[in-house]
Amino acid sequence: MARTEIRVGGLGGQGIILCGSIIGKAAAIYSGRHAALIQAFGPEARGSACSAQVIVADEAIGYPYVRSPDILVLLSQDAFVQFAPQLKPDGLVLYENELVQVQGKLPVTARALGIPATRFAEELGRRLVLNIVMAGFFTGATNLLSIDAVEKAVLDSVPKGTESLNLKALMKGYEYGRGLATPT
Amino acid sequence: MDRDGFPRVAKLKDGSSVEISLASVADGSALLDFYRSLSDEDRLVLTDDVTTPDWLARFLAKLDSGAATSLVARADGRICGEATLHRNLHGWSRHVGEIRLNVARDRRGKGVGYALAAGVVKLAIDMGLEKMVAYFVASQVAARKTFERLGFRKEAELARQVTDIRGIKRDLFIYANDVSHIWAAMEALVEDSRPHEGQ
Repeated sequence: MARTEIRVGGLGGQGIILCGSIIGKAAAIYSGRHAALIQAFGPEARGSACSAQVIVADEAIGYPYVRSPDILVLLSQDAFVQFAPQLKPDGLVLYENELVQVQGKLPVTARALGIPATRFAEELGRRLVLNIVMAGFFTGATNLLSIDAVEKAVLDSVPKGTESLNLKALMKGYEYGRGLATPT
Repeated sequence: MDRDGFPRVAKLKDGSSVEISLASVADGSALLDFYRSLSDEDRLVLTDDVTTPDWLARFLAKLDSGAATSLVARADGRICGEATLHRNLHGWSRHVGEIRLNVARDRRGKGVGYALAAGVVKLAIDMGLEKMVAYFVASQVAARKTFERLGFRKEAELARQVTDIRGIKRDLFIYANDVSHIWAAMEALVEDSRPHEGQ
């Protein structure tokens, strides 16, 4: 049974939960698979540690918590420090490379791919879509989900009027992720 | 068609159509031809002298830098209308875009202006801008109505603010469309807290 454990970690206000929710929706609603989402955030609206645990599986999920993530999506240094030691030996870290420095703590066989997602989001017009750039990066770098499914999940999740910028953010991250996942 | 939805064909009220597309540096000479074809009456209250190569060079540089985004309407292979979104890429008004619109006299009243303005408003929202402004003088009744249909409202009126190309002082109407609520909804979505839940 294929079961992929994903942890999205960062700070409140970065859209961590939405990023996890989009991955889960893309899997469960638009790919016909199973998904579970557990969200955790501090009492403050912004700035406190925040994470989402997402399980994507081909069969029903009996235990919805992440024990040892296959994939980490990290948007803060604190999240890296907290979650990197939990990564599976051959796991994958996807990180915002202007917010996170990968140093130690990772299994030697793990892979780490960075993206300047904040800069991309700002260039597109709003830093707010940083999390959508990361969702696209996840899609392009992992091949776990189709871009069509994630695109539908984004459209289903974001407010009316913001669809176009969010889709641009998704594709920006997706293309960047594909470039890193399949080096020429 | 790219993700912005351009080029696209806009059907007009008289049954004809125009093609609306994003302007690029390659459209420079056609834009200059369009603006030079406007009568003095039509250029009476334009912010810049749009008939000079200097203006075109500045305009194309702004297109290239992203400080301006332009849509052109074409019919029979010629530009018959143009709308520009000007924005400050830095500074305290970086969330605001200014829209300017011009339509050839023989194409007015058919919906070309609305199609261009609606396209630019959508581009502005897609860029994450929160507010759009447009400037008019009192005589530009049709243009003001076009923008009112798109959600713009008069926000200020400045007496004797404009000197037209004949030297006559005119009152300036500042219209604005605040779309910050769209992005406020997105900000709420990425807050990563549910203060009303679990209490």
